[in-house]
Amino acid sequence: MASTSCSLLRLQPGSTGSIQRIEGMNPILRRRLADLGVSEGVMIRLKGKGPFLGPITLECNGQLFAIRRKEASMIEVNVS
Amino acid sequence: MSSIALVGNPNTGKTSLFNTLTSSYEYVGNWAGVTVEKKIGSLKNGAGKLIDLPGIYSLHPLSRDEGVATQYLIEESPEALINIVDASQLERNLLLTLQLLEYGKPTVLGLNMIDVAKARGIAVNHEVLQSRLGITVLPLIARSGKGSGQVLSVLEKASAIPQVTFRLDYGELAEQAIASIETELKSISGLPNLRWVALQLMEQNPVVLELLKKRMDISRLMVICDRCQSALQSSKQALTLPQWIRSIRMDYIRSLCTAAMDTTLLKPHNLTERLDSILTHRFLGLPLFIFFMYAMFKTTFDWVGGPLSDLVDGLISGPISNGASSLLQTVGASGFTHALIVDGIIGGVGGVVVFIPQIFILFLMISFLEDSGYMARVCLLMDSTMERMGLNGKAFIPFIIGFGCNVPAIMAARSIEQPKDRMLTTLLMPLMSCSARLPVYLLFAAVFFPAQQATAVLAMYVLGVVFALILCKLFSKHLFKNESSVFIIELPPYRMPQLKTLGRSTWEKGKGFLRKAGTIILAGSVIIWLMSYAGPSGLNVDMDHSFLAKFGGLIAPLLHPLGFGTWQAGSTLVPGFLAKEVVVSTMNIIYHAPDAAGLEGQISQVFTPLSSVSFMAFILLYIPCLATVGVIRKETASWKWTFFSMGYSLVLAYLVSLVIFQGGSLLGLS
Repeated sequence: MASTSCSLLRLQPGSTGSIQRIEGMNPILRRRLADLGVSEGVMIRLKGKGPFLGPITLECNGQLFAIRRKEASMIEVNVS
Repeated sequence: MSSIALVGNPNTGKTSLFNTLTSSYEYVGNWAGVTVEKKIGSLKNGAGKLIDLPGIYSLHPLSRDEGVATQYLIEESPEALINIVDASQLERNLLLTLQLLEYGKPTVLGLNMIDVAKARGIAVNHEVLQSRLGITVLPLIARSGKGSGQVLSVLEKASAIPQVTFRLDYGELAEQAIASIETELKSISGLPNLRWVALQLMEQNPVVLELLKKRMDISRLMVICDRCQSALQSSKQALTLPQWIRSIRMDYIRSLCTAAMDTTLLKPHNLTERLDSILTHRFLGLPLFIFFMYAMFKTTFDWVGGPLSDLVDGLISGPISNGASSLLQTVGASGFTHALIVDGIIGGVGGVVVFIPQIFILFLMISFLEDSGYMARVCLLMDSTMERMGLNGKAFIPFIIGFGCNVPAIMAARSIEQPKDRMLTTLLMPLMSCSARLPVYLLFAAVFFPAQQATAVLAMYVLGVVFALILCKLFSKHLFKNESSVFIIELPPYRMPQLKTLGRSTWEKGKGFLRKAGTIILAGSVIIWLMSYAGPSGLNVDMDHSFLAKFGGLIAPLLHPLGFGTWQAGSTLVPGFLAKEVVVSTMNIIYHAPDAAGLEGQISQVFTPLSSVSFMAFILLYIPCLATVGVIRKETASWKWTFFSMGYSLVLAYLVSLVIFQGGSLLGLS
C-alpha cells in the first residue's frame, strides 16, 4: 500500500500515523515533546479534538497529552 | 548523616513514596508538576535524609521547578539516588534513568505503579532490568505503600549501595570527544562525574554550561563539540550532536524494553478513554465542567456545609459562650476580662470558626479534583478561552488551587514553562477567591440572598475569574507585548482517589486555616476589640467614640460612593489585609454579636442588598493578603511587580464596586 504524508491534523480521530517531520515549532514545545518521546519515526495517534478549535489530544508510547492545533499542524505524519 | 535524593519523571509517585518513607507529609496530586520545590524529610529508620525533587524528564530544565531539581543534582552531592520510574511508561522514564546512571552516584531503581501497568496488560521483569542496568530494582506501589519496606531496608545502609558500573558506548566519534573533554576537565575540582559532565555538555545542557563557565574558559570544549558534530554530519550519522546522543540512548532503551517488558496483552486505557470521550467531549466537556463546579458549590454551601455550620454556630453561641460567661462570673473576673473573652475572642474567632465545615468541604472537593486526574482535563477544556486572553490553559491548575489558598497556588505556577505565562498567572492569582474570603460571602448571602446562597457565592467566584481573564488580555497586550504562549499538557490516567489520601490532603489544607484561627485571627480579634473598647476619652467607651470608629471614619468617606461609607465597614478593610477572615471577625466584634444569627440581624440594618453585593465584590478584589504578597515578592523577585499586583487590585475593586453600586442605584435597585 502506498503511503502518503499529511499534517497530523488531517488524521481521522482514532487513527495512527508515523511522524515524518516536525518543522517550525517553538523550541520549548519541541523539547517538551521530545521529553515525552515524540520525535521522527515514532507512531502517534490522534485521540480527539477539543471544543472551540481548542487543543487536540494525542497518544504516543501510551502517554496521553494535548497540544494546540496550530502546533499540531507542524507535525507531518505518514499514513500507510 | 547521609542524604538520598528521589528523582524521576513528573507524576510518577515520588512524593507518595516520600510520604511513606519519611514521617512528613507533602502535597500529592495526579498531574505533572505537583512538587515545585525540593522537600527534605528524615527517613523513618533514622538512616538519613530523604530529598524529594520536582519531577524532570531530562536533566535539561525547561521550567522553574525542573531547574530546582537539576540545580540540586549538580551543585549538591547526594550520597545515593532513588530513581522512580512509572512501569506503565517505562520507555520514556528510562531516558532519565540512563542520564542518572551516567551521573555515577549509587542508584536504586524504584519500579513504581506496577499495578497500573498490570491493569494495562504490561508485565515488567524487574530481574532483567536489574541485571542489564547493574543496579537494584525494587517493584513498588507507592500509593498504597507496597514495597516501601524493601526500599527502606536498602537505604538503611546507603553506603552499601554499590557504585554504578553502567556505561553506554556512544560510538567512536563521540567517545573520542568525551575522552578529550574529560582530559580538559581533569584539572577542575568539585565537578560531578566527568564523563557525565562531558555528555551533558555535548547535549548543550544550559545548567552544566553555566557551571563550567564559572570555573574555566569553555571555548576549547566548544571546539571539541563542534568538531565532533561536523564529523557526525559528514559521515551522515546524525545532524546534531544532541540528536546523536539521544538516538544512541533510545536504541539502547528499546532493546532493554524488548527484553524486560511483555506487552503481548497490552490493553488500551479503557476507563480513561471512556471518561475522556465524555469529559473532554468537544460540546459536552465545558458544560459538564460548569455543572461540576455548580454541584461542588451546592454541596459545600447548601447541602452539607450549611447545616453543619449551623450546628457549630449553635455550639459556640450557646454552650461555649454561656459557659465561658458563667465561668468568668464564678471566678470573679473583671468587666474588662469578661468583655475581652466573650466579645473579643469568642465573638471574633468564633465568628470565623463557624465556617470551618464549609471550608473543609471545599478543600475536600479540591483534593478530589487534584487526585482524580480531572485537573489536567480542565486545562485542556479551558485552553482555547485562555489562549484568546493571552495565557495558556495550564494556568488553570494554579487557579483552581487558588480557590483554596492563593499562596500554594502561586507556587504551583512554577510548572508553567514560559516565564511570561508564569508571571501573568502569579499577578492574576489574587483575583481567585480563596477560602478566606468565603466567610464574608456566606455571611452576606445568608442575610440577603437566603434562597440562592450557592448561586450568590458562585457568582463571586465567577466574577473573580471573569476579571482575571479580562485583565489577562489587558496585561498580556500592554505589559508583555503579546508574546504568543505555548501549551502542552500531559493527561494522566484517571484514578479513583483513595479515602486515606483525600482525608490527608484535606486535613493538610485545612490545618493552615485552623492555625490561622489560633494565631493571626486571634491576635487580630484582640487588637480590634481593644480598639473598639478604648477611645480618646478612656476605656469602655461607646463604640461610636472608640479608636476603631475614629480610624474607620477616616476611610469611610472614600467608601461612600461604593455604598458602604460607614466607619464599621471601613474598619474591617485594613485588618482584612493581614488575613481576609479577619473581616468577619471584626464585624462580629463591632456588632457585638457572638453568633451568626445576631450578626445577620445587625448587618441587614446597615447594608442593603445592593451595597452588600458591592461590599462582597470589594472584598473579593481589593488586595492580596499579606501572605500572598510575600509569596508574590518571592516568586517574581521584584518589588515592582509585587506593588503592581497590590495596586491594580485596589483600583479594580474600587471601580467594580463603584459601578455595581452607582449603576444599581440608577437602575432603581437598592
